[in-house]
This record gives sequence, C-alpha cells and structure tokens, in this order.
Amino acid sequence: MDYVSPFDERRRAAEPLAPRPVSLEGARVALLDINKRRGDEFLDRIEELLRARGASTFRLVKEIFSKPAAPEIVRRIADRGDLAVEGLAD
Amino acid sequence: MTFTATDGFSLPSVAGESVRIADGPALLLFVSEECPTCALTLRRLAPLVGELTGAGLCVVAVFEDPLEVAARVARRTGFGGVVLSEPAPYEVSGAFSLESLPTAVLVDRGGRETGRVVGWDAAALSSLVSMPVTDEPPLRKPGCAAKNTYDAEALRALDGAGFDELEEMFERGWTDGLPVVPPTTERVRATLGGHDPDELLGEMAPALARVTLERVAACAVLAGCRPEYFPVVVAAVQAVLEPSFNVGGQAVTTQPCGQVVVVNGPVRDAIGLNGSVGALGPGWRANMTIGRALRLVISLTGGGFPGRLDRSTLGNPGKIGLCFAEDEEVSPWEPLHVSRGFPADRSVVTVFGADAPLSISDHRSTGPLALARVLGEAAGATWSPSWWPLGGTSLFAVCPEHARSFAQWGWDKARVRSELFASVRRPASALRWGETTPLVGAADDDQLVGKWSSPEDIVLVVAGGEAGRFSAVFGPCLGMDAIAISKEVPWIT
Repeated sequence: MDYVSPFDERRRAAEPLAPRPVSLEGARVALLDINKRRGDEFLDRIEELLRARGASTFRLVKEIFSKPAAPEIVRRIADRGDLAVEGLAD
Repeated sequence: MTFTATDGFSLPSVAGESVRIADGPALLLFVSEECPTCALTLRRLAPLVGELTGAGLCVVAVFEDPLEVAARVARRTGFGGVVLSEPAPYEVSGAFSLESLPTAVLVDRGGRETGRVVGWDAAALSSLVSMPVTDEPPLRKPGCAAKNTYDAEALRALDGAGFDELEEMFERGWTDGLPVVPPTTERVRATLGGHDPDELLGEMAPALARVTLERVAACAVLAGCRPEYFPVVVAAVQAVLEPSFNVGGQAVTTQPCGQVVVVNGPVRDAIGLNGSVGALGPGWRANMTIGRALRLVISLTGGGFPGRLDRSTLGNPGKIGLCFAEDEEVSPWEPLHVSRGFPADRSVVTVFGADAPLSISDHRSTGPLALARVLGEAAGATWSPSWWPLGGTSLFAVCPEHARSFAQWGWDKARVRSELFASVRRPASALRWGETTPLVGAADDDQLVGKWSSPEDIVLVVAGGEAGRFSAVFGPCLGMDAIAISKEVPWIT
C-alpha cells in the first residue's frame, strides 16, 4: 500500500561540534540570557566562576525566551566570543 | 524427510518461546485455519494427545498461520499438543515436500520419517499412531493445498489479508494516539483536489519541516477530514505559520495550551461546521477533524509531538484538536471576521493559542454589568489567579442566551469588551500572592490593576445551543509574544 507521509523526510547532516577549549584562560565567553525569570541569577554565578578561571565575559539577552535568538545576537556571539553559555531558567 | 539435531527446525510457539524440533519420536500435524479438514483432524485427534504424549510421542501442530490464529484454532478444537506457527514462505512445509493439508508425519527417535497420512483418513491415522482413532464419519476427507505450494502472487495476496492498515499507522507513528485514516495516495490526491502537492506553505518549528500542501493533505486525511474541509485546514495552517503566531514556541511549551480554530463565513454551512449546540465538543465531523488536522500538522509534520519535543506538563483535551464555527445567524453582533476587517461574505479562519476552555454559568444576572462581572471574574482565574494583567488574548465563547441578554440591555460587542475590561480590576495589594506579575510588584498598593492590558485583549464570539446560560473563556498561551491570526479560506469546493 502506498501512503503519503505527513513528515518532511529530508535528512539533515549533523553539524560538527566546534573544537573544545583546552583552557578558559583568556577565553571570551558570551553569556546568553534567554529572558526567562531568574536566568540572570544563574548567569551571574557562571560569570563569577568563568572570571575566576581567567575568562572574560559579555552578556546578551534574547527578546523573548520562546523564539529563536535574533540573527544579530547570533552574529555578535560568533564575532566576539570564543565560547557561549545559554541559561534556561524558571 | 529426515530431520536430525543438526537440520531440525525451530518455530515460534503459542506457549511463548520458540520450539526446536530436532529429533523424534514426534507426530507432526501440518495444518491451517483456512482448511476445514484440518479443523476436523485436530478435533478428532485431540482426545488422543494425552495418551500419545504419555507413550513418549511429541504431538505437534504446525500451523501455516500467524501465532494468534494458531492459538485460537488450537483452543477451539481442544488440541492440547505443542502448537507452532510457521511464517511465509513456509520453508519447513517445503522441506517436508508438503502438497496439501492436513498432513500427518511420524518421525522416529533418529529423526527419520516413518510414515505420513495426507488428508483425514481415520484408518490410515490409526495405523500411523498405532492407536484407534474415532470411527465417526466421515472416515476420509481431502484437505486443501499447503501454502508452501502457493505461487508468489498468491502469497502476497495472503499477506495482504492479514495486514491491518490501522495498526500499520500506529506502527509508523502517524497518529496522535487515536486511530487515523491511512493517507493513501488516492485519498491524498482527492483531498488536494488538483492543487499543487509541492506548494510550500512554510517551515514549521520545532522540526523546521517544510510544510507542503501534500503533507497538510496527508494530515487532513489522517485526521478524518472530507476533501471539502481541506481549504479550511490550509487556512488554519497558513495562520499558525505566521511568525507572529510563534507556533514553534506554542508547540513545545510546558503550558498545556493548544490551538483553537474559529471559522466564520459561508464555508461553515458548506461543510457542516457546528457553531450551535455542543459547538466546543464532539458530535460533528468537520469540527472534530479540522482541528485535529491542524494539530497533526503541528505534532507530526512540525515535530511538536507530546512527550518528545512537546513538553506540555498536563496537555489538555483541546490539544487533540479544537475547531468551531461562530453562530453568526444567532449572534446579535457583528461576526469575528468582520471585526477583524474581512467582508462578511468571506470565509475566514482565526487561530488562537489557548488553554482549555473554562465553562462559566450565569443563570441569575438581571443586568449587563452583573453578567459582565461574572464572565470577567471567571477569566480572572486563568493562567494563575493573581497573574494580572494576563499579557495575552482571552477568547470568550459567549452563549446565545448571554449574547441576547447583552443585546437586549443595549450593549454592542465593543461595549461588552470595554465593560469586561473595566469590571475586572483589583488594587495591586490584593494581587501580591501566588504567582504575580512584575507590574503588580512595582505598583503602589492602591493602584488598580486589570486582568487585561486593553479591551483589545478580549475577543468575543457567539457559539453554543439556544438553551442554557453557559459561556466559556479560553485563557491565552503566554510567553509566546503570540497574537491571534486570521486567514481567508483560500478556496471553497
């Protein structure tokens, strides 16, 4: 029996992972706040720990947690950061 | 035929584990459910099984049927021996060079065949097992062709006979948990009605799947839609694909919200969409299947399947699908689509991200302010009782009796909305408990805070039976920055 699939059957190639950092010393770390309640508290603590290990940090905030980050935010992370940490919260 | 420890056979048994037959002594009874002589043979030999087994003979029925069929026939015939099921292409039967069923084969301890009886032959079987079998007529009866003798085409037809399309849909995962209509190419073609199957409506999150007309048609068929419902499904899918609806966020959120489809205009009558008695519930095919088709596009095509990427904490029955018509003919007010800028004679679908409906009874109010307050205060509890303002759209399904009362008291739709908006306010100090908003947190104690930020956040449609003063409110899907979207039905068949 021939059926029509409701699914988009395209197979996507997996994106390769970026190389893992050997050290945090001198790394520029983007901290992405998705704009959910208390996510900033989580990122504050992460920031503290990263700085203690010699990393520098910069913060970005999504417009709203339930939508993908704006292309501008993704571009700024890629341009300015070596690493990124995203904080989910509630 | 000789079968030994090295070239015996192993087949699934109704007792659970596979059984390996590698040596005798054994009496092998090759049978099939479709052959009446096989049933006769099993029934007549059944009383002897205990005695034969006691004498050291393993009595085995080898069915050329699936396990469940073999088990059923063995039970009905009272056959108490070993029951095995041989799958197509019946290699064991082939190895024994069977031509017809039933065939009884006796093998000795070394696995050598020492005799066989084809068909029902009481005298020959008595001789084969050295024990008298019944002398009740018929004493001889021919059987049927063994399935290993069938040609490939006959076997395929046989396979098809045992094939259950509905179960196949569950195995593929093409379902929301209820039975679906299999989307055969013929059904999907009929649903498309000549429209381009590859027409792309957009990409749907979270799977980022390409939503083509053909995939929407497949979902419409799965949901049980008639082809004439399809344009309404397409309009609903176009609506949820608008970026400002944020269907990706709605599809995966822990909030148990679904998507509610309200339909206005002539298409309602053309397809039998109900806006009257029981409008939000079951009973009407168009209502049940259009909403379900949209949900299948979201949960199957779009990847927002419950328990996988859809993380809805509780879900709600409306997530199966919820579609209803506005009863424009009974409503004293302008219809929803006209309020949203469409000509009255157009067919329009409006889609809302919404929680389950909350029923609101008011059989007592004697004036419009009192009734507005009842409806508004009920809505005050949606999302969370002290979460004011909501920050989203509330959809009220106003029953005809309530709507008529408002109209008799001289309130048009705009007045009802503004009075609802105004009637549900509290001082911030009364809202500082439970889950409350930043606005309430920052407000002065006596500052009045409303459940809605503006009357625009209140949408009224008239639906329901003529009798009964029960309206309902759907709370919004929050945190999505989502708005209700209207789309004109692209064609009517």
